[in-house]
Amino acid sequence: MIATDQYRVIQRIRELVTYAFLILLSIVMAFPLLWMVMTSVKEQREVFTSFLPRQLDFSNYERVWHAMDLPNHLGNSLYVAGINVAIVLVTATLAGYAFARFEFPGRDWIFYVFLAAMMIPGQAILIPMFQYLKSLDLLNTHVGLALSMTGGAISFATFLMRAFFRTLPFELGDAGKIDGCSEWGVFWYVYLPLARPGIATVLIFQFMGVWNEFMFSTTFLISPKLKTIQPALYQVIGRYSVDYTALSAGLLLAILPILVVFLLLQKQFIKGLTAGAFKG
Amino acid sequence: MTVSSVRPKSEDLWMTQLKKFLLPAAFLFPAGFFLAAFIAVPMIQAILLGFQRWNGIEPATWVGLRNYENLLQDKVFWQSMGNVVYYTVATTVFQTTIPLLIANILNSGLRGSTAFRFLYFLPVIISLTITGLLWRMIYEPNFGVLNEILRSLGLRDWTQLWLADRNLVIPCIIAVSIWQSLGFFMMIFFAAMQGIPQDLYESASIDGANVWHRFRFITIPMLRSTMTVVIVLNTIGGIRAFDQIWVMTTGGPNHASETLGTYLYRTAFGALGSSNPHLGYATAIAIVILVFSLIFSIIQIRVGQVNEVEL
Repeated sequence: MIATDQYRVIQRIRELVTYAFLILLSIVMAFPLLWMVMTSVKEQREVFTSFLPRQLDFSNYERVWHAMDLPNHLGNSLYVAGINVAIVLVTATLAGYAFARFEFPGRDWIFYVFLAAMMIPGQAILIPMFQYLKSLDLLNTHVGLALSMTGGAISFATFLMRAFFRTLPFELGDAGKIDGCSEWGVFWYVYLPLARPGIATVLIFQFMGVWNEFMFSTTFLISPKLKTIQPALYQVIGRYSVDYTALSAGLLLAILPILVVFLLLQKQFIKGLTAGAFKG
Repeated sequence: MTVSSVRPKSEDLWMTQLKKFLLPAAFLFPAGFFLAAFIAVPMIQAILLGFQRWNGIEPATWVGLRNYENLLQDKVFWQSMGNVVYYTVATTVFQTTIPLLIANILNSGLRGSTAFRFLYFLPVIISLTITGLLWRMIYEPNFGVLNEILRSLGLRDWTQLWLADRNLVIPCIIAVSIWQSLGFFMMIFFAAMQGIPQDLYESASIDGANVWHRFRFITIPMLRSTMTVVIVLNTIGGIRAFDQIWVMTTGGPNHASETLGTYLYRTAFGALGSSNPHLGYATAIAIVILVFSLIFSIIQIRVGQVNEVEL
């Protein structure tokens, strides 16, 4: 019996040490975010005196909402993301379906071309894209920015949708055809409704990608008024360089939309973000 | 039954052949159009531009390999290259091992595992721009909370210039990267660990394997391809690093945190209003980034295919 008692004590200690470690790590991980929340509800002169605010002061949010022109920049981001996500979803669903369901000569080679597009880093096409948008009269427009982010995104989304369609049984389509569906009917009435989880994954992945994008957004939109939220925040940091209460409030307001989506759709969200790691 | 009665008329045969082409073509056309217009065209232009000298206003002139020759003699380019290697190796090592260990702890059937996972994942959803700006405030030497904490703990000697210190700037950026990506790679490992058959662990336990043995001889071998994917993702991320570094330091102080990405950006779009932009030269840097990340992307796809076969 002594042996099992000893074993139990060791188990207990091991558990305590593990929890202590995880809690310590939690503090390290959460501290920057907590500090941001705390700072955003402080008065300016309180920033350096204590971690906890003496009283909750939400005036920073009010102050920043209009001073940083946040409704405008958030709206710009939503608009750009809307256009881009719509294009990517429609095109990638169709292409992914074709690669998964149809047999045609050269299919694998065409698919490799799609894969190759996925491997091109944004930096490689940044400068030509700038000139290209300029020549199309799309530089400094939201449509231009949305289009500039379609290429690589479509190839990756196609990749995901192909993998998803391949998990659906082939027999369904054959059954549909026997019942008199056309090829389009099979796609539209049989497979598309079943592909909803895959589409949701791509949607979240792509929306988040565009919402958080910085390099293209800061380069292709030049007028301050047109900027999307990420470059807009970068732009104001000079003006608020030591006003940490305002800056914290601004950053938090910019995180909020993504945070809400994350809290509502946690499972799909994590799946969407980590999908990139599991090719196929 | 004769064969001829089931053979379709030649016209029909031709139609079905045509259909075989047309249908996939119709489905692929929209995606193909955008791919051609917004990847292929700019990519070809980039390759051509790498051989040209151009300030964006006057007509470009063809200079052959001059841009690449100049790169080889450019001190800042080599410094950026060194920084990229430093940053990439360090982030890859830390962002593979730490998430792996934490995923392993959280996968051991601990109570509250979900809450910890949620908490560690939070930084992942925030953009690199916002976390960059947040950490810039934290690292700020005079008003930043990091030095503030050190001072209030009586560790005044430990206070640093952080992002303004040429030796500390890259470690500081690496720390932010680890903080930001921990949850992401942890989730990838965690998901893969969930797929390891439980009876492997049970039979190992019966054979007297302890926690370390089970981790070393079951978990690690079972996660080999996942680990390769994580390593490759980290490597590609390191080679392409731009957003967070640009937002925190713009490559400074004095090129101490310059990466290929920030150097490219500075050369092309400049510290605004400065000397004329060197678009051809900047594109040559972009091609270097492209080549290095292609090498690792190909490895990634190879591994991905291995995964598919194993499934």
